[in-house]
Amino acid sequence: MIQVNHLTKRYAGRTAVDSISFEVEKGEIVGFLGPNGAGKSTTLRILTCFLSASEGTARVAGYDTYEDSIKVRQHVGYMPENVPLYPDMRVVEYLQFRARLKGLRYKEARRAVAEAMDICSLTEVDHKIIATLSKGYKQRVGLADALVNKPDLLILDEPTNGLDPNQIRQSRDLIKRLGERHTILISTHILSEVEMTCGRVVIIDKGNIKACDTPQNLIRRLRRPGEIMLEMQGDGEAAAKKIGKLEGVKSVKKTESGNQWVTLLIHTDPNIDAREDVFNLVTKSGWKIRELASRAASLEDAFVDIVQRPGELTKKEVADAGS
Amino acid sequence: MRTFSILFTKELRSFFLSPLAWIVMALFTFLNGWLFAGMINAMRLRVSSRSLVYNLFDSGWFWMGFFILFPLITMRLFAEERKMGTIEGLLTAPVRTAEVILAKYFATVVVYLVIVLPVFLFFPLFQWITGEQAAFQGGALWGTLLGLFLVGLFHVAIGTLASALTANQLIAAMLTFVFVMLHYFLGFMERFGLVSGSSWGEGLSYFSTIEHMHSLTEGLIDSRPIVYYLTFAAVLLTVTHHVLESRKWRA
Repeated sequence: MIQVNHLTKRYAGRTAVDSISFEVEKGEIVGFLGPNGAGKSTTLRILTCFLSASEGTARVAGYDTYEDSIKVRQHVGYMPENVPLYPDMRVVEYLQFRARLKGLRYKEARRAVAEAMDICSLTEVDHKIIATLSKGYKQRVGLADALVNKPDLLILDEPTNGLDPNQIRQSRDLIKRLGERHTILISTHILSEVEMTCGRVVIIDKGNIKACDTPQNLIRRLRRPGEIMLEMQGDGEAAAKKIGKLEGVKSVKKTESGNQWVTLLIHTDPNIDAREDVFNLVTKSGWKIRELASRAASLEDAFVDIVQRPGELTKKEVADAGS
Repeated sequence: MRTFSILFTKELRSFFLSPLAWIVMALFTFLNGWLFAGMINAMRLRVSSRSLVYNLFDSGWFWMGFFILFPLITMRLFAEERKMGTIEGLLTAPVRTAEVILAKYFATVVVYLVIVLPVFLFFPLFQWITGEQAAFQGGALWGTLLGLFLVGLFHVAIGTLASALTANQLIAAMLTFVFVMLHYFLGFMERFGLVSGSSWGEGLSYFSTIEHMHSLTEGLIDSRPIVYYLTFAAVLLTVTHHVLESRKWRA
């Protein structure tokens, strides 16, 4: 569905996107992640033909974004960052205008708008002026706009930006449902959302692609020490000393205590599970355990690890990332 | 053509749903009505060899209104879209940039005509109320209408370009104001004695809106102003297209 090949975008004196390559297959939901200013929005704007690339090519649905810009735009539903809408229009009016602009005939447009409003739960506000809607509803109007002409590809730039946790959850469920019908490329900061919705993740930083894999593989490849959380009753200082001497344990940190219960954070070498040894040691010493858990690494940890990894990527790593 | 009509209707609708259109229309009609009444009084006190139509559209006061009118009706065209970010949604829809420009441009020309046309009602209204011949002929009015239409095409094109150059409506309005005024006063350079007697003065008089209107208000259809205004409007719209397309290569 998307083929990006050595895409570069230079603004005056600055390279926003530096020779990136990646592909998105039909039916995938792909997360496009990166810190602020990494080049995410620039890449999405090139894919939607709002900007032109300085070098390289981008193809969407088989069409070149520069040569066949109109054809590309017919296949893409785009929701820009901050969801710009016409504030003086009513929701239904705005969506009909957009549907007609995207090539639907009057009757088709009416049907498609009703369907899009139903999918995005906008029916109850269909005659409200957009300026009077809450942020959450405005996001939904933007999403309904993106999918009103049933495009093959949905490109969503920060679709949950500024939403409250409840709205984020609703939005996540909606994107999951949309993934059954559309290929989706979604840029976001909320990594838990990506972990739950995306089959694959592309991480971009300073205009370069740093990783391209499934969230599970990225977490697996994480170069982070293991972490165990222990909540016990007894002498915290003595326990920390004893646990520190166990094989594979790198450090022990006492984090909080109260009501005779002490919490210890135990850092171990990567891929070492010291929970059994810790359990045996604590129970033999006559202390009580309330909780002993290995803290699972998340996509957030993987993201931070990849983005903050010092030094440049090797050629092989870049090639692996793009493939 | 279909896309053009969708965008054209949307532009017209959003203009007439805003209070600005009605305020501008009311103000412009009131000022011109006041000018019309003043002109009739002046002609009653002093005999004029020219017709009422000629004198009204030769008056500097009538054209002063245009310095404000064109910035007001064109400043939001692209500047507002850029400021709100809606230009991104517009230009990522399957529409050509030229269609967007032409739809906005012609919608504004229609708005301009709606604002200006009431002036032409003054003449039959005056005749109907007073029973007096208002010293005008159909040919003169049609010529004037053509002249104002051409001036509108040109000045709305100036405003469209100014609005595409910036995201700030105020700056767009100022640019239009300056260019409309400069163009108007270009034809007066000779009268002000700034380039008197030279071939420059003669050359500059070709740019003079007032000069163009003189023949048209007498009912003489001269092809030169028609070519002049249409050519400049086309050039300005082409530049607007380049400005909007060049955005793709910048930020």
